[in-house]
Amino acid sequence: MKITILNGDMKKGESHFSDYLNNMTDKLRENHSVDLFHLNKMNLSYCIGCWSCWWKIPGRCAIKDDADEIFKSVINSDFVIFASPLMAGFTSSCLKKITDRLIVLLHPYIELRNGESHHKKRYDKYPDFGLLLEKEKDTDDEDLNIIKDIYDRFAINFHSQIKYMKLIDYDKFEDIIYETNNI
Amino acid sequence: MKLTIFNGSPRGEDSNSTILIEQFLTGYNRINSDNVSINYISKSKLEKERKEIFRNADIILIFFPLYTDCMPGIVKNFFEDIFELKINKSKKIGFIVQSGFPESIHSTFVERYLNKFTQRLKCEYLGTVIKGGVEGIKIMPPVMTKKLFSRFQDLGEYFAKNESFSPEIKKKLLKPYKMNFGRKIMFFIFSKTGMANFYWNSNLKKNNAFAKRFNKPFVE
Ligand SMILES: Cc1cc2nc3c(=O)[nH]c(=O)nc-3n(C[C@H](O)[C@H](O)[C@H](O)COP(=O)(O)O)c2cc1C
Repeated sequence: MKITILNGDMKKGESHFSDYLNNMTDKLRENHSVDLFHLNKMNLSYCIGCWSCWWKIPGRCAIKDDADEIFKSVINSDFVIFASPLMAGFTSSCLKKITDRLIVLLHPYIELRNGESHHKKRYDKYPDFGLLLEKEKDTDDEDLNIIKDIYDRFAINFHSQIKYMKLIDYDKFEDIIYETNNI
Repeated sequence: MKLTIFNGSPRGEDSNSTILIEQFLTGYNRINSDNVSINYISKSKLEKERKEIFRNADIILIFFPLYTDCMPGIVKNFFEDIFELKINKSKKIGFIVQSGFPESIHSTFVERYLNKFTQRLKCEYLGTVIKGGVEGIKIMPPVMTKKLFSRFQDLGEYFAKNESFSPEIKKKLLKPYKMNFGRKIMFFIFSKTGMANFYWNSNLKKNNAFAKRFNKPFVE
């Protein structure tokens, strides 16, 4: 299986979270082809809402930076892991930055699903998603529920589904690897 | 107390958020002629400046568009910034979330986050006003935006009087929560006549990109 890991860690220097992802990537590479992107170390801009990707250069982003690599990896993957330490009660702005830009992978046309508007597919196949998080000092169950629900909604819009939400400071490394292997 | 507004649209001044803020302030100014400061999160290159503005504000309204079922990246970045502040003065914070899709259900998930985030900041939560179907208002003829604008004006007027959102107007703006039967039929007719995607098609054609609309550039 092809896996993309989007690391939204924004810490400069040594980071337990990024080390964890590096180990995880090594382990997963025994069975899969894995692309790991450390977003904060890449040249990535925020989406500016220009709609070029939908009505000027369909399927492409007008911003010239490192995002094309990520678009290509994500849309050709079977599984994408959104990974981030929690900050102010949600995944990092660095991860949200690239998440916004993933709309380049959708089509502008609207369809109704379950009484709600959603965008049509641009590609035939979309990857499933996983969430890998690290708690903050004050993270509680309500925070985790909110995050899970928002990502579930995002997955609906992306013709995808959230296969799991894991916490690196709570779930066992072996279990996360095992579940990922068996997606 | 002084009102401070943050505009969280990545489009900055040329945005739907700007239009809604203008309408809100038209109503607000009927009651209160104080100067309201408007700050563009997309512009605040100086992180310090927006932090200070937030620190010194009493009543804060944050307008932003829904981006992938949540706040835009720039707004999340702003939240991370102000979360680091030690706030020792009690503040009231309210949010206005507007989206492209007409149903308000899309924005109700981030609303829960906004409530929790305000609690984290130890500020008073004034609530979140949700309005769907906002993309395209810039090019709509006045007959189509009249009701929306007058509601935002009334929302502003009520806010100037009460320092809170009118529950009644909030409820009206929330509609539709999902598509009811009538709206589904309308959508069906619209899709048969090509009306449903008129906005996208006319822009695709304007840009000579219509033939390329199904391109899949990243497939391997
Ligand atoms: C990257 C991106 C993601 C978006 N995601 C959503 C979404 O998940 N749901 C929705 O209803 N509208 C979505 N929209 C539409 C915007 O919320 C809508 O166009 C809004 O009116 C833009 O406001 P602004 O001009 O103030 O930025 C998205 C737009 C962009 C550019």
